[in-house]
Amino acid sequence: MIRSPGSARAGDHSVLQSKAMKHVRLLVLGEDLPQASLTLAETESFHPDSRAPEEQRLAPLVDSRYQNEYQKARTRLDKIAQVIPVPEPDLSEIRVVHLDELTEVNAWLGSAWEFCLEHQEGFRELDENARLLEEQQAALANFAELNVDLGALRADKRFLDLHVGVVPRENVSRLEGALGLTGHLLLKYMEREGNAHVVIVGPSEDGQSELRSLLSSAGFTAIPLPQGLDDSPETIQDDQRRERDRIERERADLHEEVETCAKEMHAKLVRASTVLALAEPFVSLDPAIRGVGYLASIDGWVPAKALPDLERRLDASLQNPFSLESRKPREDERPLVPTVPVRNRLLQPFAMLVKQYGIPRYGEIDPTLLFTITFLLMFGTMFGDVGHGAVLGLLAWLFRKKLGRFYIFGVLAGLSSIFFGVLFGSVFGYKELLPAVWMSPLYNPILMLQLALGWGVLFLSLACVLTIYNRFAIREPMAAIFGPHGVVNLIFYLGLVWGAVSLAMTGAFGAIPAGLVIAALGALAAYNWGHMQAPIGEKILVVLIETLETVLGYLSNTLSFLRVAAFSINHVALMIAVLTLAGMMGTVGSILMIIFGNIFVMVLEAVIVTIQVMRLQYFEGFSRYFSADGREFTPLRLRRKPRAA
Amino acid sequence: MSSAAKNAYLNTRVAAKATQLIGLKNVKQLSQMSPHELCQHIGLGDLLDEPGSVRSKSRAVEQGLIQVLLADLAVLVRPMSPEERGLVLAWARKYALFNLKTLLRGKIRQLDQQEIRENLYDLPPQVRLSNEDLFRTESAVELLRVLESGPLSLLARQAREIYEKRQEAFALEAAIDQRYYSELARRVTRLGDPKADRQMRSLIGSLVDRANILWLLRFRFAYGLPPSETFYQLVPSPNLMYRQRLLDLVSLENQAQVIAGLPEPLRSLLADADNLMESQRRLSQYCYGIARDVLRHGHSGVARAMAYLILREIDLQLTFTLIQSRLLNLPAAYVDLALGLSPAICAHNWPDAA
Repeated sequence: MIRSPGSARAGDHSVLQSKAMKHVRLLVLGEDLPQASLTLAETESFHPDSRAPEEQRLAPLVDSRYQNEYQKARTRLDKIAQVIPVPEPDLSEIRVVHLDELTEVNAWLGSAWEFCLEHQEGFRELDENARLLEEQQAALANFAELNVDLGALRADKRFLDLHVGVVPRENVSRLEGALGLTGHLLLKYMEREGNAHVVIVGPSEDGQSELRSLLSSAGFTAIPLPQGLDDSPETIQDDQRRERDRIERERADLHEEVETCAKEMHAKLVRASTVLALAEPFVSLDPAIRGVGYLASIDGWVPAKALPDLERRLDASLQNPFSLESRKPREDERPLVPTVPVRNRLLQPFAMLVKQYGIPRYGEIDPTLLFTITFLLMFGTMFGDVGHGAVLGLLAWLFRKKLGRFYIFGVLAGLSSIFFGVLFGSVFGYKELLPAVWMSPLYNPILMLQLALGWGVLFLSLACVLTIYNRFAIREPMAAIFGPHGVVNLIFYLGLVWGAVSLAMTGAFGAIPAGLVIAALGALAAYNWGHMQAPIGEKILVVLIETLETVLGYLSNTLSFLRVAAFSINHVALMIAVLTLAGMMGTVGSILMIIFGNIFVMVLEAVIVTIQVMRLQYFEGFSRYFSADGREFTPLRLRRKPRAA
Repeated sequence: MSSAAKNAYLNTRVAAKATQLIGLKNVKQLSQMSPHELCQHIGLGDLLDEPGSVRSKSRAVEQGLIQVLLADLAVLVRPMSPEERGLVLAWARKYALFNLKTLLRGKIRQLDQQEIRENLYDLPPQVRLSNEDLFRTESAVELLRVLESGPLSLLARQAREIYEKRQEAFALEAAIDQRYYSELARRVTRLGDPKADRQMRSLIGSLVDRANILWLLRFRFAYGLPPSETFYQLVPSPNLMYRQRLLDLVSLENQAQVIAGLPEPLRSLLADADNLMESQRRLSQYCYGIARDVLRHGHSGVARAMAYLILREIDLQLTFTLIQSRLLNLPAAYVDLALGLSPAICAHNWPDAA
């Protein structure tokens, strides 16, 4: 078994803090490059850095034969996988693949692809024959309504040139015009799917090659008229049935032949798949490899904790001496340093949703844990019902194979709904089944709205704190203090909240909060003024508008959280409506109303609540503290499964 | 957005963008600029400062100019209705067809993959084919088979059948070109707005008319195809070269008769053109004139946007000609010929012209 230390260790770091990375430069002799690539891939902790090096003498590798052979072979194997199943590579032995072996495998894959192509063409030909047979049937059915001697159509005619066939519908008009120039007539008697059935009649004179060329350009396909057209319909139908059976037999034979050959090729396909899997790291690494003389240099990023293991493995696998230099990332490199994603199994689906927005920049807080907690809290509050939560969680569990890792998202969301359902005392909308541990949202909507506002204040303050931390982490202290959602913004916001609470409770805004708000706005205005290069009139206008925007922005963003309370009240109200309607109906109607009403509410609210929570997370949270322009850590690794067809 | 609002928006955007058009008359002024200044002027920055051969620089400039055109296109198609957008994108899809032809030629001649890749244009998703899937193929027939499973299935099927029967690149490429213009002619007749319909017919019709006349002269008299097959390769136009006119013209015996049989203003335009290159130059100027007319006096936002794109494309082609001629140090006479500023002459007379 091959160890994957990189992935195993990725959980070592805090789920909030991105893992410390180091920039490494590996110097090896050219002959050791393939082995070095394999070792780096085995550790799964090396993220290639393909930037051009500052040293002018280091140049990209000139010899690209290995890469070309690999690309051709990989393309062929992927195409073959669309026709016959390609087995997984056998990676029990990790070894270097040399160019000769790769060339040989590529050549074999070329012949294997030719075989597949031939059989694909065979299947297509059978499809075409089956299609023509159908067209023939349709044509004969159409001719059956005419009072003409069909047998005469087959016979050679001395003065008359006659063709029966199909032509793509959109070519008919042009073909008709062109045939007119050769003295032929075109009669369209039927249209099926994209084709028109036509009869072409004209004088049987010279100019046949011109006609043939024209028909070929127009995509005309002659329909073979069967022998014995003057036989009974039953005889002709029997002939056609036999022809259809023959096509099906040939198709089955072809399938069998492909399966037999696939079995015969199995061992060679395993070898090809293995060789390509072993050759891939060297090819993937190519953009990061630079060389001078016999020496090759590979640059990349490695998690700091994985470095000793990497060095030990290189030491064990490389025959010649090597040098592994490492250093901390420079400040100017920070946007280029990859961030190791969260690997925690429970957080995986939430990490996927975070990734939809972007990757955290190196050094920034990874928002996945915070996102998970706040998402579940808001989802449960807005969709609190024991019954609905249980159904949601159960469905996610039952469909876990189809949902993949995402089923955890459904289960946790369901559990959150159950938890808040217990607090609110709601089971499928019924209040009587479970006494509320706390209270139903509808009993005190004002309190719910106040709590939602409080939650909003907490959420936005936390977002500002994270923004401040992230800016300090990436060495931007001025932006952390004066920038959007920085220290001054937070002071302003907390002052505003303090004043608003004071106003609501005592009727006065208060001198200290007012002082904080004015001082913070003044500091922001002064900072903006100092950083603007514009005429004085424009400066005044911009500073005024920006200050006003800060005030309005925080106000509206806080109010945005009222939706958390609104949806929790909405859920209760909708369920009351369903139960009231059910109460107005007979027994059967009532049962149906309760079932379908619950399904309706579940589907509608699960979707809307998810969208609303995502909106709050993305726009009120991420847009403040998450720059989302980082790079994901994608280490070099061995491909253990064939590419999906 | 309502129809009136869309029209107003498009007209405003077109009017703003039209200020950057150069035009055939002003191209002489541009020829005074250095290649670097030309690149700056067209918005390509310091593209020529990158190290590389003349060929790679020329290629980078060409690619950059196409990106400039398609960036304009992406902005202009946004407010259009699906039919209008479909027509404008169908016009721009010629670049995808250039790529397709490059791939086909490369596969037929069994060129190295890298060489083929270097000659492909990098296009935005709206107009590009799935190049990677096509690129993975190993022969022209396999390529066309892959293409059959995509949006160009009809074209690909027919092209493959023609290629399998006749094994010649000419038939294949003629089928691709023919389909391209047929698609334009078909889409223009489907526009719902009568105002846009009339102006677009004139605009797209002029492009189809130009292609028809050149193909007719080339197929009938240079390649010696019979009237029936020549007619089959042509595209009935929504403008002057409609079906019956094409039927009448292909039966004529020589080039002079064909030109005499053309409708006005095409007849006067081509009356004394003594070679196909000159006919092509004059027909291009005819299309240019119509596009300029629609841009200046048209009312439909879509038609004006289309006219702008056609004129912008001509501008970018002229710029590319100028930059390339500078990179290759061509004599001024050649440059004038290439820009279409002087009457076209046959290639073997070029040394005399220089």
